[in-house]
Amino acid sequence: MSTTTTTNEPRVKEDVWIPTSCGGCYAQCGVLVHRVDGTVVGIEGNPDTPAGSGRICAKGTAQVMTLYDRHRINYPVKRTNPEKGVGVDPKWERISWEEAMDTIVEKLQGMDDRRGAYFQATTVQTSEIRFAVPAFMKAFGFKNYWVSGGGLWCGNGAHFMNGIMHAAWSIIPDWHHNNYTLYFGCSKGHGAGHAALQTAQWVADARARGMKAVVFDPFLSTQASKGHEWVPIRVGTDGAAALGMINVILNEVGEWDDKYLKLRTNAPYLIGPDEHYVRDPETNKPLVWDAEEERAKTFDDDSVKDFALLGTYEVNGVTCHPSFQLLKDHVKKNYPLDKVEKITSVPAETLRQIARDFVKHAQIGSTIVIDGKELPLRPSAAIFFRGSQGHVNSGWNCLEIDMLNHIVGAADVPGGAMGHGPPVCHGHPTTGKPETTPYACPDGLMEVKGWVYDHKPYPLREPKAPVRLDLQDMFPCSVYNAFTICTDRWEEYLEDFKIPYKPEVMINFGSNSVMTMANAEDVTENFLKKFKFVFSFNIYQNEFTEAVADIVLPDACFLERYTPCVTFPSTFSHPTGMDHWVWQIRQPVVEALFERRDFNEVMIDLAKRLGIQDTYYDAINNLIPIRYGGEMSERYKLKPGGEYTWTDIVDAVLRDRLGDEMGLDELKKTGLEKWPTKVEEMYWRWFQPARVPIYFEYFKEFGEKSRKIAKQFGHEHIMDWSFYKPLAEWFPCPSHEMEGTDFDLWAFSWRPSFHTQSSTQNNPWLDELSMQDPYVYLMQLNAETGRKKGLKDKDVVIVENSIGRKIEGPIRLVEGMHPEHIGIAGCHGHWARGTPLSKGKGQFYDDLIIVDEAHTDSLTQGTDACVKVKIYKKNGR
Amino acid sequence: MARYGFVVDLKRCYGCYSCQVACKAANNTPMGIDWAWCRPSETGKYPSATRQMIPLLCQQCANPPCMEVCPTGATTQDENGIVHVDPDKCMGCKYCIMACPYGARQTVSGWKTYFPDAEGDLDPFEAYAKKEWEKTWGYGVATKCDFCHDRRAEGKLPACVEACPAKARYFGDLDDPTSEVSVLIRRERGFQLNPELGTDPSCYYLPPR
Repeated sequence: MSTTTTTNEPRVKEDVWIPTSCGGCYAQCGVLVHRVDGTVVGIEGNPDTPAGSGRICAKGTAQVMTLYDRHRINYPVKRTNPEKGVGVDPKWERISWEEAMDTIVEKLQGMDDRRGAYFQATTVQTSEIRFAVPAFMKAFGFKNYWVSGGGLWCGNGAHFMNGIMHAAWSIIPDWHHNNYTLYFGCSKGHGAGHAALQTAQWVADARARGMKAVVFDPFLSTQASKGHEWVPIRVGTDGAAALGMINVILNEVGEWDDKYLKLRTNAPYLIGPDEHYVRDPETNKPLVWDAEEERAKTFDDDSVKDFALLGTYEVNGVTCHPSFQLLKDHVKKNYPLDKVEKITSVPAETLRQIARDFVKHAQIGSTIVIDGKELPLRPSAAIFFRGSQGHVNSGWNCLEIDMLNHIVGAADVPGGAMGHGPPVCHGHPTTGKPETTPYACPDGLMEVKGWVYDHKPYPLREPKAPVRLDLQDMFPCSVYNAFTICTDRWEEYLEDFKIPYKPEVMINFGSNSVMTMANAEDVTENFLKKFKFVFSFNIYQNEFTEAVADIVLPDACFLERYTPCVTFPSTFSHPTGMDHWVWQIRQPVVEALFERRDFNEVMIDLAKRLGIQDTYYDAINNLIPIRYGGEMSERYKLKPGGEYTWTDIVDAVLRDRLGDEMGLDELKKTGLEKWPTKVEEMYWRWFQPARVPIYFEYFKEFGEKSRKIAKQFGHEHIMDWSFYKPLAEWFPCPSHEMEGTDFDLWAFSWRPSFHTQSSTQNNPWLDELSMQDPYVYLMQLNAETGRKKGLKDKDVVIVENSIGRKIEGPIRLVEGMHPEHIGIAGCHGHWARGTPLSKGKGQFYDDLIIVDEAHTDSLTQGTDACVKVKIYKKNGR
Repeated sequence: MARYGFVVDLKRCYGCYSCQVACKAANNTPMGIDWAWCRPSETGKYPSATRQMIPLLCQQCANPPCMEVCPTGATTQDENGIVHVDPDKCMGCKYCIMACPYGARQTVSGWKTYFPDAEGDLDPFEAYAKKEWEKTWGYGVATKCDFCHDRRAEGKLPACVEACPAKARYFGDLDDPTSEVSVLIRRERGFQLNPELGTDPSCYYLPPR
């Protein structure tokens, strides 16, 4: 503001509220930022957007302290200490942007093989990395990446199964109509990042009108304390509990949603003795049994009068059964409740009652009219997340829980478990974009047009001889593979699998992988230190940068930059139920302070300096249709030779997706564009003819393909191939097979609602909450267990795992904890010099995690995060 | 005249501390000072234990013990039942802090930065917050929640009410039997904290179950 004035007070006082999107977690709620005379003085919810519906959480409000955090990185720095490792002082030295960029360009150009570049990113920057990361990867020519925490905190099992069953990233109950929810190791609606604020309100509404939540969790979590019933359960055994309940439903109650199973799943598909579909010799289509005409027909034959779900039949000379019959027999034989009780520690009678209540509340047969459309009403849902997926049985655990929904037809219908973000979007009324739609493949199973994620609903990714450094591409369901890169066998794997290049340069976007992949030593020594040069965009120095970064660039935080869209793909921001779609942008509320620069601008600059800007533009043109569903019009494609800034690109994306008049200047006024959702989008299941599997016929085949590749390279036993089977199974973690040893407690981690992964602990307002909260900085131990061990509240104990890895800290004796467990708030216990407030507070749980083949889900390659430990008082056992 | 009151629905509250931080941000309170705060509790024995968060704030009592003990007349009650402190009249004797059964009042001896390890001047936000605090309160005086008096003057709701993700906090007129707060209290068996003390708080809580 230029004013000529003789007083200290500016003539025009500025007092404005700017609409933008929060970046405190991945929910990306709409916020209004209050700026007074150039200073941000407050952040509040934006009542105009459905993304957050005008509310704001502690993390969001506290972001003003991150914007102005005096420990932020304000200038590029380089490492002067050649030593790298956990806890090493990098001895940063300030350098100019010019020097930083020159060095980075030199290192990238000097690579032996460009395929040896590696991207790492954090999900907190989820919307931004969708451009900068994949476009640069494509333009520069490499395929290796990791999203921080992937496979451990989220990722493999949960997203994989939700993709197959709901064409979505996650599942949440339809709280507008739900009456009964089973929670397994997740906090949705209680501060979890998936549409956190809308769901918090909706679950409170549902609770107020009598919705019951039954929560399976080893500790009395927030959701358990708000629930109708807390069911303490051993960690990692959720899938067994679900299979036991499926057994009760199918073999004791004998009630299921006949119509749903017949028309929306492969339950009627006939299975032969080879465990495969019995196919029509002419069309090769899977066959079903028409019970009325007593003959086999193809699954999509309109003349089928009654799909048989049960029975034994002879077709084309083979004896076969509908897959539903096989599932029913399988759970009866293998998951009787007495056995399940031994695995889970949950009394058989409790499981029986919950299974019965689940079916009862599903109200099979009931309907509801929404917007003139009559739909099934199934107000029961079973949901899961990180607690279920962080185990050797990651993929199957998630699937088994979700199968409860499918048996009662409570999938993507009012009241049931809903794919989240909603997988059907007909797009903005003007442009029809973004567009995503599930449809049926030739076998009848669900595929998706406009699928954005790495794991495909169907078919699975074709396993190939690996070219990636983590061998991800040789597995059909894997997204992140820590068990390869984080072990001392990595180099052996690279050699044996004949990966023709080496890790060389790592580009990191805010990720703190030293604290989010596994124990810090293994991640650093086996993986990160193998890169010759690491440069990193960060807002503050953390355990990662201090351990291994050579150059750290001062990134703009979310309040200092633009993003064309934070709410599509609808993964994190759109809950389900009739409301509005919202396209929400992010805009800077202050100019980037000091020498901070938005990494998007820096990546464009880098592409130019490397002489690859045209391929970079081309990659962006190709990415937009994938990320934001629907072809890009020629008019807005980036042209070769163009000199684009990041805001030019943002403007092009907006006009292309929302209409010619809807450029950046227009969107900056309100920060968003919204339009009503349709019943066909939100409650899509019966509007799409696609089926989902309850019998995973194709897993075996894909496992075989993967095994063949492993064998070809001399590693046939890299995975346990028995996981690739058609019927759901519960496989134990190593921790479940340590009975009778000194290691008598299971350790697990949990997440306070006011923290986001490893990124918020240094925020002083949130740290203040952590200090005040009784559980964040102390490890929770069952009071009786503690007494038996002679321990008192606040005693400092050592927690030691079976290979001698230890963490230590004070304990809190509580009643809300399963007696065989110790619960630790995850991602605490920081040690970086750059984040002094969080240093030494709480415990770093991941240091207990063992990462190797045995602690990996053979199906999805997720990492097992539960550990058997012994605890003893520090200084005197 | 209205009697302004507050309802906290413990059934809806899931203990996320959003109210506490929203209050801090809106009122620029210094480190360690929270006019809205949360008290976690655990009761019962495993496996029937329960945990409940109780969000707290000044109860704006109809018979405020803090006002009774104030020797200088700094504490007053306005026509809407809200209890105020006049920092110019307060001499910092802390009688009110002793007298308040809810722990709603705090004094500040001086501004402490949230970034004690950092070098140099306060950052722009803390500098702003400090200035605002000194303009309104200063140091050595009793401070507390006034149901966001300044925000309400602008036609807004108290910050903690607007922030609450679970919509567990309500503000309104207790004297109006048709107001949302009155209806909630009546319909859902709203209760006051420590009614036996005879303070007659204007804050009501709805039972957790």
